[in-house]
Amino acid sequence: MISADTLAFILMSGILLGGLYALMATGLAIVWTTLGVFNFAHGTLLALGAYVAWQVTQSVSGGLGFLLAVIISMGVMFLVGFLLHYVLIKPFERHENVVLLAVITTLAGASIIENTILLSWGPRDRQISPPISGKIEFFGAAFNTYDFVILGISLLALLALAFFLRHTTRGRSMRAAAQNREAAELMGLNVSLLFALTIGLAAATAALAGIFIGSLRFISPAFGADPLMKSLIVVILGGVARFSSPIYAAFIVGIAESFSAYFLGLYWAPAVLFAMMIAVLLIKPEGLFGHRSKTL
Amino acid sequence: MKYAPPFHRSNGFWPITIIFVLLLALPFVFTDTYTRHTMILVFIYAILASNWDISLGYGGIVNFAHLGFFAIGLYSYGIASKVLGVDPWLAFMLAPVLSVAFAALLAIPILRLEGIYVILVTIAATQLLLQIVVSQSAFTGGTSGMVLLPRLSIADYRLSSDNRIGYYYLALVLLSVSTVFLYKLERSSLGRAIKAMRDNKYYAMARGTSEGRIRLLTLCASSFFPGLAGGFYGAYLRVASPDVFGLGFLTITLSVLLLGGISTIWGSLIAAFVITILSQILGDYGSWRNIIIAVVIISVVILYPGGLFAAIQEIWGGLNRLKTRIIASYRRMFRAGERRAAMGFADRLMRTRHGEVSVCDTRTGDQALIFIHGNSSCKEVFRHQFSAFSDRFRVVAFDLPGHGVSPNGDPEVHYNVEAYAQIVDDLVAELGLGKPIVFGWSLGGYVALEYAATGGPLAGLAICGTSPIAKYPDDMPRGYVPTPHMELAGKRFHSPHEKYNYATHTIGMKKGLEPLLWQAVWRTDGQAREQVFAKLKTLDWPRQTRMLRSGDIPFAMINGPLDPFINHGYCRQFTYGDIWQGKPQNVGDAGHAPFLEKPEPFNAMLRGFIARIFPEKGQL
Repeated sequence: MISADTLAFILMSGILLGGLYALMATGLAIVWTTLGVFNFAHGTLLALGAYVAWQVTQSVSGGLGFLLAVIISMGVMFLVGFLLHYVLIKPFERHENVVLLAVITTLAGASIIENTILLSWGPRDRQISPPISGKIEFFGAAFNTYDFVILGISLLALLALAFFLRHTTRGRSMRAAAQNREAAELMGLNVSLLFALTIGLAAATAALAGIFIGSLRFISPAFGADPLMKSLIVVILGGVARFSSPIYAAFIVGIAESFSAYFLGLYWAPAVLFAMMIAVLLIKPEGLFGHRSKTL
Repeated sequence: MKYAPPFHRSNGFWPITIIFVLLLALPFVFTDTYTRHTMILVFIYAILASNWDISLGYGGIVNFAHLGFFAIGLYSYGIASKVLGVDPWLAFMLAPVLSVAFAALLAIPILRLEGIYVILVTIAATQLLLQIVVSQSAFTGGTSGMVLLPRLSIADYRLSSDNRIGYYYLALVLLSVSTVFLYKLERSSLGRAIKAMRDNKYYAMARGTSEGRIRLLTLCASSFFPGLAGGFYGAYLRVASPDVFGLGFLTITLSVLLLGGISTIWGSLIAAFVITILSQILGDYGSWRNIIIAVVIISVVILYPGGLFAAIQEIWGGLNRLKTRIIASYRRMFRAGERRAAMGFADRLMRTRHGEVSVCDTRTGDQALIFIHGNSSCKEVFRHQFSAFSDRFRVVAFDLPGHGVSPNGDPEVHYNVEAYAQIVDDLVAELGLGKPIVFGWSLGGYVALEYAATGGPLAGLAICGTSPIAKYPDDMPRGYVPTPHMELAGKRFHSPHEKYNYATHTIGMKKGLEPLLWQAVWRTDGQAREQVFAKLKTLDWPRQTRMLRSGDIPFAMINGPLDPFINHGYCRQFTYGDIWQGKPQNVGDAGHAPFLEKPEPFNAMLRGFIARIFPEKGQL
């Protein structure tokens, strides 16, 4: 029998993990709902964002340096994402096999980005130094203050994104393009541009997530693969019916992961998550919080 | 009914036999280990990519767990031979069994899923395998993998001896058996069911094909040889590492498949060679190699989605067109005498709105008679009519574009029934034929019907070996007796054997008896066949039917009773406004071309029809 303290510790680490997963998965989810394609380059966008930020922190150090790194990295990644749409997805957006073709081209794009990172920064592990240190006592267990900051900023970023999508003209037109492309075009919206903006926003959130991961652990050119798989699980588990569905799912996945890591061991935790995902796909392919139709 | 010639009679027979013999001889030319190693990798990628095509290309199941089959084969060889101590050959045989079992398991979750979900589940399943492999390091060696796996040997002779010559031939045998399997599978009823499930799922299901069963069989069929290749890979490199689950390996195999072209077996084999050599050449450049391969993938997908196989077909098609063009020019210039001897009159080129056509015109006579030949034929089929009718009529025949000695036309513009009818229209105006009697044979019959339906001037209309179609395509299987050789009529590339079949079965010719016509089949531009048949669906069939049912134009149908293609019962039951003698007429015991096979009774019958149009002219 485990004590309440241990239970609270596992739960809390799951929630902290969930915040990070929510940030990673939301970028994947908005691209999926808006463009209807699965972006396999999402993981490498995370990695590239982290490397850009690391480069900035190398020249400007301290807390200000970190903030500057975040802003520059998100800006750069927004542009990269914006361009990715025109290179990888736009050429065959009306093609009947767009889903398969996008998988292929985004995989190839991921390979290009990953190898570009390798060429530019080399294979050595790097770490972005976290701007905040210190511990917080929580139910008798010590947590890093920085973990809570990450959770808070992640949720704030998602809230800001949700506000943008719901209450600004640009955001509403992006949702319109996602819901009914033809109607949006008839209303005079430049759907291609909106799609490119969507991938740009997704890449910017990926950059933020990448920086957080890079300041918690190490970054290496291939470190995007694991977050990509985690985001994939989150998105499938939650479905993409609403903006909030992958966020709920992210916390479920985070908590499930920390419980299975504690009880089954670190190696089995991913297997449990994948098994959970396959089970959900079999029983409710549209996701736990999903509806059949797609909205943003 | 599906036309599927045996392999040794298809166009691919000689190229593939030659390549196979070259591959057999290669180790004797290049005795170094490096070349053989590269070729072994080529064979492995070829097996992986071409088998992936069963699910991804033919089946339309976007299965991204394909390399999982390979990995299962690899690890089952490794674990069975090293950890469990099983005999290496037995372990090698066990590998495909386990990969097929995994494929069967995988079929269960994706049974009801579509599109992107299939991709996600199969990726997830592969990742699940990876996690299991990594976590069970006691058996699998974890992240660092297994090394020094047992070798394969035959009675103390190691396959790796003599610069790996044994492995080279074993890999070649695997690839050959896999290719034969794929070739047979594609042509089997299962292969057709797999394609039907991709092309029109609900129709296939309505015809009694079970979706679940086909998906299961598709996955199992595509997993056997990758499993075997995995076992081979383990025995050959003696290493099993989790790298085979990585995106890099997936990307290279996928690029082989895409570069070769989806839904072609041979494309993957060619592309495996190209990509492996490319990646060996670029091997020294590390990251640049991966970037270049990724750029190649994106460029192929965007710029040339058909892949290498489509490019080869395009080149082949271009050569074919060049060849037919040269034959036509040569005969036009140097063989005019032969044709003149056959027809009794010289031919010349005339410009129409659909390019130049070769026209044979007797020039004298008040009433004109126009003869239109059929698919892959030429105007000389009507030579008996020229000698029989030229005394009283002005007889005109011409080679359709891409046929006989007419030059080839633009496939998109000039090769369709409407264009052919417009050529008739132009010739009537140009030569001042007034209101001719138009006779069309087979495909020419549709040209004649189309000419009449579009209001071209004419006094009478006769067709032969043509079933009138009221509703396309529903009436096609009713109007014609389906035979395997029908598909040849619309096929672009004929092998020599197919040309022979087409000439003897379709047109009813005997070799040697009709050298001019025999040559005409060889000369015909394959694109003319392909385009005309593809565009039949755009023809205004109701307009032809309205014309026939109105009875405004005197109409006759003169068939050979032994015609193997048209359905005589259908032709009799079709509602005609006015048909000569009240029903389609039969000539003696002729086949598809009565005017050529039985000219005397045919000509008498055609005279009778003309007499009915012009009763005042009396004794014609």
